Amino acid sequence: MKTIVEAKQIKKVYGAKGNVFSALEDIDLTVMEGEFVGIMGPSGAGKSTLLNILATIDEPTTGNIVVDGINLTKMNEEQLSAFRRDKLGFLFQDYNLLDTLTVKENIILPLALAKLNIKELERRADEVADKFGIRDILNKYPYQISGGQKQRTAASRAIISKPSLILADEPTGALDSKSATDLLESLKDLNEQDKATILMVTHDAYAASYCNRVLFIKDGKIFTELVKGKRSRKEFFNKVLDVLSALGGGANDVI
Amino acid sequence: MFYPHWGVEQMTLFSLARKNIKGNFNNYFVYFVTLVFSMVIYYTFTSLQYSEKIQESIELSDTMSFMFGVSSIILILFVAIFILYSNSFFTRKRKKEVGLYAILGLRKKTIAKMLFYENLVMGIIALVIGIILGTLLSKLFAMILIKLMGSTADVDFGISFLAITQTVIVFMVIILFTSVQGYRLIYRFKLIELFYAEKKGEQIPKVSLISAVIGVLLLVVSYWLILKPFPDEFTTEYLMKNYGIAFVALFIGTHLFFRSVTVYLLRLSQRNKSRYYRGTRIIETSRLLFRIRGNARTFTVIALLSSATICFLGATYSGYYSNEKRAEEVVPFSYSHLSKGPEFDSQVESIIKADHRHPIKAQLDIPVIQVKAILSFQLDYDINPVQLISESTFNKAANALNKDETVSLSRNQAAVIQPRFTEYTKSVFKGENITIQLPQGSSKLPFVHMVESNVLPFDYPDFFLVVSNEMFAEIAKKEAPLTYKVYEVENEVTAQATSKKVNKLVGNDFQVSSSFYTEYKQGKEGNAITLFIFGFLGLVFLAATGSVIYFKQLTEANEAKGHYEILRKIGVSRKDICKSIKKQSLFVFGLPLTVGILHSCVTLYFTSNFMSNLIGINLIVPILTAIVFFVIIYAVYYVLTVNTYNRIVNK
Repeated sequence: MKTIVEAKQIKKVYGAKGNVFSALEDIDLTVMEGEFVGIMGPSGAGKSTLLNILATIDEPTTGNIVVDGINLTKMNEEQLSAFRRDKLGFLFQDYNLLDTLTVKENIILPLALAKLNIKELERRADEVADKFGIRDILNKYPYQISGGQKQRTAASRAIISKPSLILADEPTGALDSKSATDLLESLKDLNEQDKATILMVTHDAYAASYCNRVLFIKDGKIFTELVKGKRSRKEFFNKVLDVLSALGGGANDVI
Repeated sequence: MFYPHWGVEQMTLFSLARKNIKGNFNNYFVYFVTLVFSMVIYYTFTSLQYSEKIQESIELSDTMSFMFGVSSIILILFVAIFILYSNSFFTRKRKKEVGLYAILGLRKKTIAKMLFYENLVMGIIALVIGIILGTLLSKLFAMILIKLMGSTADVDFGISFLAITQTVIVFMVIILFTSVQGYRLIYRFKLIELFYAEKKGEQIPKVSLISAVIGVLLLVVSYWLILKPFPDEFTTEYLMKNYGIAFVALFIGTHLFFRSVTVYLLRLSQRNKSRYYRGTRIIETSRLLFRIRGNARTFTVIALLSSATICFLGATYSGYYSNEKRAEEVVPFSYSHLSKGPEFDSQVESIIKADHRHPIKAQLDIPVIQVKAILSFQLDYDINPVQLISESTFNKAANALNKDETVSLSRNQAAVIQPRFTEYTKSVFKGENITIQLPQGSSKLPFVHMVESNVLPFDYPDFFLVVSNEMFAEIAKKEAPLTYKVYEVENEVTAQATSKKVNKLVGNDFQVSSSFYTEYKQGKEGNAITLFIFGFLGLVFLAATGSVIYFKQLTEANEAKGHYEILRKIGVSRKDICKSIKKQSLFVFGLPLTVGILHSCVTLYFTSNFMSNLIGINLIVPILTAIVFFVIIYAVYYVLTVNTYNRIVNK
């Protein structure tokens, strides 16, 4: 099996002399192809920093990251942009849809930017729209649809370019429980059927229970790791809750 | 209940207002700059108006105070509108802040007073800065004006108290008005409205084919009305009706053009999917489409203002530009006078000869016979008395003036010199004849030619007839000719001193001056003032329209920060984002400017038809100059906008 993410000794320090705060300390992370990995931890633990670094939106102070065989630390801005466009799919808590584009235009945006030919583009748009059940709203604008629909649109956009890695930052954070479950089920299907590799940062133990493996971060370091293995989702959910209570501080918003 | 001590409340209010200004510096800065800019412009203008030096150096123009007065009123109107616009813009951005104060428990009255003082204090500070900057600038502008007029007066500007008083009065009224508006803000809106002021999302505009079609139709109609040739009967009523309708149609048509036609065209460009879904075009088109409704009114105002400015600049600049040509037409020779005996003539001659810096190139006598005559057709020009000159005199004079027109006539033929300030063509006289009436009988002469070179200064009625040498000699026997002495000197445009002396000695032989220099200088000064005033106003309009687009784009940039952040996350490089911003800004600046230029070209075509003295003058150079000048300044604003926009969203 292929290694998708290989991060070694990631360190992120904020601030200047005298007033230094380190957000991440020597994090090692490996994600294999087809894995669905969750990252949990209390507020301020460094989850989002780690995700941003993997997303190439932020840079590590030191450390080395290889994603799908490409070394991120050696690329310039232009190459990083192309990398994000071709290799990564994003899913954010606040959807990050463009309000000036219709649902369909939002979905196909990565392909349009990559200048894919129109036939292939239309075919893939239909394919993902069916997968997420948003065919009916393709011609609507983001301000005309619900939060759940927005997040499914965002998910469609994230996978349309068949990225090597999907990064999700609290994707269920702004959704009601029904919509959240729908989205998580879709991600699970994506992971199981299409062998998509997903890395998801979340606060929510319920969301984390959909993962194959969950990493817990505290104070910028890896605290522990849980693997689902043969357990049922319910059992795994309880395990996650146990670790969270052991982790303490900041994780008290768990159900 | 807590009733704060009056003095204490004053203090806290004042410090709160001060903190506001510090915290919201960017918003305040833009508004403040607008205030200062308007004040500087207004003060500069009024101080020029009142400056003695300027008044003195215009010896000959009496239109000056009128022109300055009218312009001053236009300027007040404009400045007031500009400040009110930017004030409402500024207030809109602060509604939420005001709502927050109300939520935090400040009494309405307190908030209202705070806004009132804040605006008042800001206005007064701006006024002081504006007057100081204006004093410096007025010196610069005065030097430009004097340079344009070609005077050599040295510029030494004191501070004009009259100008300061006038500026203070005008702006205090405006500032008080906006302050009262600020005071009323909290009473005018419900709390909820204040909070959601900025949240009102713009929606995708619907395509209205009907209004797009009406827009295009109105534009076509107005262009047609403007461009159609003058009717035979030309009345004020026609003028008002035709052009009144044309300009209303132009106004509404322009608005509909921006509101509907552009939407329609953008929508159409979205239809072609393989083009639309390629690269960043999808982002640009959709953003422009979303913003167009909000921009339509601004675009209309900008397009119309810039076309008006280009028109004024073009028309006045062509006057300035063509002054020499016009002066040469009105006063062809450097000096001309009626012969009043050998003693007088030689006196004049010696004055002209004494001027060694302007040596005589040509000197001749032009005998003219004044007779009564009847045309064989109706001409709406009073021809009597007709001035006769002989063929050989005309040819010699035309030659001395470097004109390549010659006349050759057989005994009974006649040629007419086109009366100045008219547009009669050869065809008017073709096949017709003129009957010269003399006490001893009349002679009928057919017109065979029309020439355009005048040889004597303008005097109404300006109807010269060139006749054959034999005919001239024959008539001269019965009617004694008058003799005009004319001189052409080198470098006549600088012959100030000699012209003064000649004018004094010669007196008024003609309706216009008898020396070219005087006519030239008079025209130059008059034109320089109009050019200066319109140039100044043009500059103000230009700066104002440029700033309006600039401010609008910056506000938009602040709102669009999130938009571009998303794009970067999806993988659009900074370079591509920058390109996309450039394209959008080009559209926003280019569209109203293009429409404005188009309008102004059409209107200038009308103007050049209307003002007959512009006919025959090459209008292309001055108009192109005005347009190029306009485009360059807009380009500067464009670069400025792109840079700032880029800095805001693409850091």
